[in-house]
Amino acid sequence: MKLQTRKRIATLGVLSPPVLWALIFLFIPYLIMFTYSFYLKKFPTFEPAFQFGNYAQLVTDAQYYQVLFRTAKISIMVGLFSVLLGYPFAYFLVFKIKSDRVRAMLYMAVIVPLWVSYLLRAYTWKTILGSEGILNSFLVWSGILDAPTDIFLYNQFSMVVTLTYIYVPFIVMPAYASLEKIPRSLIEASKDLGVRPLRTFWSITLPLSSPGIAAGMTIAFCLTFGDFIAPALVGGPNGFMIANVLTSQFGAALNWPLGAALSIVTLLIVLTIISLSDTLQRSGKLELE
Amino acid sequence: MSSRVRKFLKSTMAVTAASCIFASSAWSAGQVNLLTWEGYADDSFIKQFEKDSGCDVSATYVGSNDDFAPKLAGGGGVYDMISPSIDTTKIMIEAGFVEAVDLSKVARFNEVYEKFRTAEGINHDGKVYGVPFSWGSIPFMYRTDKISEADAPTSLKVLWDPKYKGKISLWDDKSSIYVAARVAGNQNIFELNDAELEAAKQKLIEQKPLVRKYWSTAGELVDLFAGGEVWISNTWGGYQSNLLAEKNIPVKEFIPEEGAEGWMDSWMIVKGTANTECVYKFINMAISEHGQCGMSNYNGYSSSNPVAAKKCMSAEQFTKLHQDDPDYLDSLLLWVNLGARLEHYTNIWNAVKAAN
Repeated sequence: MKLQTRKRIATLGVLSPPVLWALIFLFIPYLIMFTYSFYLKKFPTFEPAFQFGNYAQLVTDAQYYQVLFRTAKISIMVGLFSVLLGYPFAYFLVFKIKSDRVRAMLYMAVIVPLWVSYLLRAYTWKTILGSEGILNSFLVWSGILDAPTDIFLYNQFSMVVTLTYIYVPFIVMPAYASLEKIPRSLIEASKDLGVRPLRTFWSITLPLSSPGIAAGMTIAFCLTFGDFIAPALVGGPNGFMIANVLTSQFGAALNWPLGAALSIVTLLIVLTIISLSDTLQRSGKLELE
Repeated sequence: MSSRVRKFLKSTMAVTAASCIFASSAWSAGQVNLLTWEGYADDSFIKQFEKDSGCDVSATYVGSNDDFAPKLAGGGGVYDMISPSIDTTKIMIEAGFVEAVDLSKVARFNEVYEKFRTAEGINHDGKVYGVPFSWGSIPFMYRTDKISEADAPTSLKVLWDPKYKGKISLWDDKSSIYVAARVAGNQNIFELNDAELEAAKQKLIEQKPLVRKYWSTAGELVDLFAGGEVWISNTWGGYQSNLLAEKNIPVKEFIPEEGAEGWMDSWMIVKGTANTECVYKFINMAISEHGQCGMSNYNGYSSSNPVAAKKCMSAEQFTKLHQDDPDYLDSLLLWVNLGARLEHYTNIWNAVKAAN
C-alpha cells in the first residue's frame, strides 16, 4: 500500500467517529428541525407541508419578538454583570496575588460551584431571596426593614442574579487565561516609560485580555439566551423567555412546526453573536503578535 | 473510500438499532409506567398494589392536561397508561394515542357512575376508551391567617384587587382564561370567540402586576403557599389544601360566585403497550375500594365508583365528597374538549405570559 493511502486511512480512522457523531447528533437533527419549520399545524398534531406560515406568524404576532427582546435584554445584563464581577476577580488573581497556592485556591473556589447541579444552585436562590428567605430574615432582624419585602424573588431581578451567579465562573476562566498570557515585560515597559497604572490598564492589559472577556461574555450570553430553568424557578409572571416559548410550543401547544421555526431563528441569533465574538477575539490576538 | 464510510455507517446504525430494541424488550416484564397527576401514584396505596400484583409502578407527572399529547407524540413506548381529564380524553382517542379498553377484563366497570361511564369523552365508535377514576372541582384557596374572616373572598374579583398585589397566583394552564372570562361575566367559557378570547387576554395582562407567580405543579403551589409567597390561588380541589394542612398552613377553599370548573379523570391505555397484564391489574385496583379510597384519602378528590366508595369511606367523607350526589358536578362548569379551538386558547395564554 502506498504511504499516501495509508495516511488517508489513518486520517479517516481518527476523524470518522467525531464526524459521524456530528453528522448523526448535530447536522441531521438540524436538518430535521429545519424541515419541520415548514410543516403545517393541524389539530390535534401537525402534517408535512412546505409553507412559510410559521415564519410569518413569528413576525406578525407581537408575543414572539416581545419575548425575544426580553431574552436579549436579560442575556446582555447577565453577560455584563458577569464580566463586571468575573473580570476584576481574574485580574486580582493574576496580578495581585503573589502566592501560587492562594491563587490556585481562590481559582478553585470560583470553579467548584460548577460541580454542583445547576438546578440545585438556582433553587438555592429561592431560599435566599424569598419573602421568608434568608435575605429578608436578615433585613428584618437587623431592623433595616419593618416587614419582609417581595421585591427580591419572582421577577427579572432574581433571574439576573441567579444567572449571573451561575455564569461568573465562565468569565473567570477565559479572562484568567488571557490575562496570564500577557507578557509582564509589556506592563513593565509601560511603567518604565512613566505611564500611570490606569492608563497601562486601558491601553495594554484590557485590549490584550479582550479575547478572554469576549469569549466569557459570549458563553454567558448564549447560555442565558437558551435558559428556561431560571424563569421557571425564580422568574415571575414577566420572566417568560424564548426557551420557555420553545418548550411550550413543543409541549402544551403541540405546535412543533412553529417551535422549529422559532428554534431556527434562535439558532441564527446565537450563531451571529458567536461569529461576531469570534471576529473580536481574532482581532485581539493580532494585536499581541 | 466512500463505500467504506457507508459500510461503517451502516454497521454502526445496525448496532445502535439492535441495542435499542434489546433495551426496550428487556424492560417489559411486570411493570406499569404511568403518565399522570401528582398524587395518583402515591405510596400510600400503590405500595400495597405493587406487593399484591407483582407489578412495579413508575410514574411521570404532568402539570397540565396539555402535557399528555406532546409526551405521547414523542413516541417511544415509554408509558403504558395516562390519566387525562374529560376535556382531553377525546383528543387522545382521535390522535390515536390510546386503545380501547377490553371491558371483559374490568369486572366492576358497571359500578362506576353511569353518567361517567357513558360520557362522550371516553366513548368512541361504540367502544370505551377510558375508565373513570376521580372527579372534583377547581376551587380557589386562600390563607386564613393572612386574609381575615371579615375579608373572606367570595368572588373572582379578588384576584384583580390591588390590595393583594404580589400575593396572587394562578395555574399555568388554559384554565386561567376560563377564570378571566368568568370574571367578565361570561359563563360560556368553553366556546369563547376570538373577541372574547382577546378580552380575556387583556384582563389577564391587566392582572399581571398583581401576580406573584403562575404555578405549574401541585408541589410548586404548596411551596408558594407554605413559603408565604402567595395568599390566594386556584387549586386542585382537596389536594393542595390537604398537603398544606399537613404542614400546618391554614388555608380554606371556596367556590367563587362566578362558579368553579369541574373535571373528571379517566385511566386510558396507551396504544401498543407491552404491559397489558399489569395495566388491567392496575385498572381493576384503581376502581376497587383500595384504589378509590387510596386516591380519595390522599388526594381529597371524589371517587368514580360509588359502590366501592360506600364500602371504604365513612358516611361523613362519603357526603363531603358528594358521592351521594354526582349531579353536584353539573353545578360546576365541567371541562369540555375544545377541539380545534384549543390552539387558540393555548396561544392566548402564551401571549399573556409573553406580554410585558
